[in-house]
Formats: sequence, C-alpha cells, structure tokens
Amino acid sequence: MENEYIEKWQSQIKKGTLSFIVLLVINKGEVYGYELLEKIKEQTGISIAEGTLYPLMNRLKLENLLESKWVEQPTGIPRKYYFLTTFGQQTLQGMKSEWAKLQATINTLI
Amino acid sequence: MELKKINFDDVNAQKVYENYLLQIKLATKQLAANDQNDILMELNSHIFESMQHNNQQNELSDLLQTLQKIGIPHEVLKPLISDKLLEKATKTFYPTDVFRALMLNVSNGLIYVLFSILYLFLFTFVFLIATKVLYPEQTGMFYKKNEFFTFGLMSLDQNRIENEILGNWFIPFTILLAVLFYGFITLLLRLKTYFNKNKKLSLT
Repeated sequence: MENEYIEKWQSQIKKGTLSFIVLLVINKGEVYGYELLEKIKEQTGISIAEGTLYPLMNRLKLENLLESKWVEQPTGIPRKYYFLTTFGQQTLQGMKSEWAKLQATINTLI
Repeated sequence: MELKKINFDDVNAQKVYENYLLQIKLATKQLAANDQNDILMELNSHIFESMQHNNQQNELSDLLQTLQKIGIPHEVLKPLISDKLLEKATKTFYPTDVFRALMLNVSNGLIYVLFSILYLFLFTFVFLIATKVLYPEQTGMFYKKNEFFTFGLMSLDQNRIENEILGNWFIPFTILLAVLFYGFITLLLRLKTYFNKNKKLSLT
C-alpha cells in the first residue's frame, strides 16, 4: 500500500485488536502456540511476529483470561494448550458487545 | 515435565538448534526455575511444530527460517521476562528482582526522558531573550581573551560588562542558536526512531 498513514493506522488497529482476535480464536477450541498463529493467519490474514505471541499469552494469563496445560504427544515433544477461563469467556462476551457498539457508532458516521 | 530435545539429522542444524536453546536459557536465567523451563519447552515445541509443517528444503534452512521468524530470544522475550520478573519480585519482595524488572521497563522509557530534557533545554534560550530585554546590560556574550567567556546572564561586574561583544545582535544570535539546537535534537530523535523501526519485530 502506498499511503503511509493508512499503513500506520492499520498496524495500530491490528495491535489494538490482537488480544481480541486471540481470545476469539481460542474460544473456538484449545490451541497450542504454533497452531494459534496458523489459525489467525488463515482466518484473518494477519501474521503475528512469532516471538511476540508468547509474551502476549503470558499477559492474558496474568489477566486471568487464559489458562494453559501441557499435553504429551506421540511425537515425544509435548504441546502447551491454551484455553479460556470462565472469566475469559465472560470478558470475551463483554468485548464482543463493545465491538458491536463501536461498529454501530462508526457506521452512523460513515 | 522435562525438556525433550529435537533430534536433527543434519549436524549443523543440531548445532544451530542447541545454540538457540542456549540463547533462550541465557535470556531467561533471571527467572524462577519452573518459568525458565516452561519458556524453553514452549519455544522448543514451537520449533518442532514449525519444522513439521514447513519441511520444504533441507533441515538447516528450514530451521534457520523458523528461528528467524521467532526472533532473537533476548529481544522478543523482553516483555515476557519483565512481566515474569515483576511477578516474581512482588512475590519474593527481593530488591534485586524489583530493580531488574523495573530496569527492563524503564530502559525503553529513559531515552524519551532524555529527549524531553533536551527539548526543555530550549527554553533557556527563550529565557535569555527575556532577560536581555529586562536586564540588557547583564545579558550577553562576555569575552576577554584568556580571562573569561560567559554567554548568558551574569551579576553586575563592570569589568565584564564592558566586554560584551554581541550588543544588539544578542537576540538574533540566541534565536539562531535555538533554531540550530532544535534542528540538532530533532535530527537525533529522527535517527533514534529510524533505528527503532528497523529493530522492531512486530506486526507485519
């Protein structure tokens, strides 16, 4: 894209909605880190810098929105699966309605 | 749970991999042992899954690509480490833990504090222009070879006052200095943001 301002704005939006997107994807089923990145890329076209994912997951855990568990694999290398806590599910509901409100407001302006 | 290492057929890939694990260990060594192990295992799992999904060329180049995508442990794990350290510090109340956690967070902010101070410094020029209007005799550039050199406001000292060399040029000269200084720090700031942009591993 040529417009630098739009590019910056887009990146701000991505950053601002990243945790929302992560929670939405995890809400559909437990995922491990690599799988989460792939799913987000597949469903939204957004590719997250891989190294930044784990700090984000830790933040969400600190906020008590996510929990994780190690699951042994036949390959021998266990995976760490993330899932929403009850509080995470409630929060996500709240975020969804905020999002709908914002969208409706913007639409009245457009 | 203990770390199970990945086995590579390529000797060089194995070396690169071992070295990367070592980098993770070094980056996280300030954390509690179980946190260190957890991060190491999770990144190890990430490398493994990524290798399983992207086996296109040879092991070594696939691995290098994977590691490049994750980034340099010391840099990408910084926010995670500072969060964990802060967690640990608030649990242990250990001063060095608190200090380390704060340092990690502050080091990014510090550079901006420095710049704010530099920008604040600009006001000294405005101040000098005001004092030139209010105390014209005491403000100026006072110079006598091998004796003194003062730029600014000074106490009444007849000897020095007679050696003011700028006269009515003081205000334009000070404005020029302010403009030059402003240009200089703004260039510095631009240079800083330019380097940041190139360093940042964020959303693409």
